[in-house]
Amino acid sequence: MNSEGMMRLLQVQQWLYREARLLDSRRYDLWLEMLDDQVRYRVPSRAYIRQAHVKDFATWSVERELECDDALALIDDDLAALQLRVARLQTGMAWAETPPSMTRRLVSNVMLLDSDADGSLSVVSTLFLAKNRSEGRALFTAERRDRLVIRGDDFRLRERFVVLDDVVLSSENLSQIF
Amino acid sequence: MTHEDYVAPDGASISPLIFSDPALYELEKRRIFGRAWLLLGHLSQLPRPGSFLRTFMGEESVLVTRDRNGKIHAHLNACRHRGFQVCQEDRGTTTRFQCRYHGWTYDSDGSLVMVPGEDQLYYSEIDKCRWGLVAVARVETYKGLIFGNFDADAPSLQDFLGDMAWYLDIILDRREGGTELLGPQRWRIAANWKVVAENHCGDEYHIGFAHGSALPPDLLSSNRAAPLQFAREIRPGLGHGLGANIFPDHMSPRDWLNQGPPSPPCVLDYMVRVYDEMAERLGQQRAHISLIHGAVWPNFGMVPIFNTLRVIQPRGVNEVELWSYCVVDRDAPPEVKAWVSAHSTRAFGPAGSFEQDDAGNWTAVTRSSHGVESRKHRLNLQMGVGHEERSDRMPGEFGLTASEINQRGFYLRWMRDMFEGACS
Repeated sequence: MNSEGMMRLLQVQQWLYREARLLDSRRYDLWLEMLDDQVRYRVPSRAYIRQAHVKDFATWSVERELECDDALALIDDDLAALQLRVARLQTGMAWAETPPSMTRRLVSNVMLLDSDADGSLSVVSTLFLAKNRSEGRALFTAERRDRLVIRGDDFRLRERFVVLDDVVLSSENLSQIF
Repeated sequence: MTHEDYVAPDGASISPLIFSDPALYELEKRRIFGRAWLLLGHLSQLPRPGSFLRTFMGEESVLVTRDRNGKIHAHLNACRHRGFQVCQEDRGTTTRFQCRYHGWTYDSDGSLVMVPGEDQLYYSEIDKCRWGLVAVARVETYKGLIFGNFDADAPSLQDFLGDMAWYLDIILDRREGGTELLGPQRWRIAANWKVVAENHCGDEYHIGFAHGSALPPDLLSSNRAAPLQFAREIRPGLGHGLGANIFPDHMSPRDWLNQGPPSPPCVLDYMVRVYDEMAERLGQQRAHISLIHGAVWPNFGMVPIFNTLRVIQPRGVNEVELWSYCVVDRDAPPEVKAWVSAHSTRAFGPAGSFEQDDAGNWTAVTRSSHGVESRKHRLNLQMGVGHEERSDRMPGEFGLTASEINQRGFYLRWMRDMFEGACS
């Protein structure tokens, strides 16, 4: 990786860390500003499925375990839906987050995969999210596949696809942003 | 306390003990989950010979298959040799279920087809015909939904559904092509199954409070205790329950569709077209009914207003897994299906703006039922007692927009199944 690439990776990492910090400190208003107008935010559900060609590791895929397109995702949001998700928290009646849960996000394994012809960046990262509420602690691990668009010195989230490592979620709800 | 005290004779109060007593839960496994018709899935989930899915009846793992000849089967997912689950996947296509412990192998019709060492180690003396997977005693379908029943002497599925079927048709039979299921989403909630089921069966009262964050502000400001103008609670009997908007004859579908949450033109146009087909198939009265919530006894819940059907799978006295599906018209255009499933997910399911707040209520009710002091005191279900009405146009008994008519029906059915004429 050349120095330009290193610089870009550092910028992306800092952007992801900033996002995690905003969410952990509940600044959802500032988080919304990190989103592109065309944002698509999806969390597929997952199932135990046999691999099609067991002898060929090259065909072993996570993809066939995921239900999203033409199926039922866990979350399938556009910008308007994400804005509603956040606005709900300000009604004072979003009981799942009243009082707010305590969250901590660890973001690591950040890799810059490629940059598209339109100048957007494909980024994967690993998320470890711990959420604590009166009824107990929920832990999530996930791969996030993001597409970021470049806006001057900054980025906007155009697409996020979250691969959770859960089949039956052990959390009573998904009230948090991944 | 004797069992007569668990639920008052008129259903208007219950003891919290029924949510927390492990002995009662053990009895429920036999007398409720061992005798009721339980939802297994939908024919659309088993599209071709060899299709299978894995689900639960009560806490029993059950394998549902379509065999080589297209016939639907349900069997206990347990090898007859040591009881190991012969299917470890949620769904797929195969005609061979091989136990990974010792290799006994079954066909998709449940028959035992191969035993390793059959000649040498068993001296060719094992009668494979006697050692097929244990079949669920009864399997029947209703308009695409597959149900199973462990009780060979149970009434037919149609009789079990009773007048609930008249209302279920509004979802399942409104179009020629029927429906299909997407999903499930699955998640665990630390709640007794009845707390979750009764909410689906009869609770419109909570909508204005528990879901205050998800309702449009104009609904909230009008009447929080009864936010839905045309809604009635309907008790079809037999422990089933539902709530529905019953729109006046003079209204047209565009009138009520425009009152709901905004949907794109392609969806609105589709809904209007469906109305015409539905009126032709089911009659004018049913075309004017839009189901909001409901439950088929004991654990098949639904929120049809957001296209969700779910099974409340019990996992011990204190926990459930919710298996939540999205139901769509099979012949709806792809853009309508896509909108319906995204819209459903945004409202219901673990991340839904409505459902996020439900789980906390159910866990809290369950938790307080464990307190030695708390559970001495009865819970109130009297809303609307003695004010049930009948209609000459629709089956069942009716309560107001919010009424506990259905919770009472639910718990009275529970008492009947648990303690009347019960011998096992």
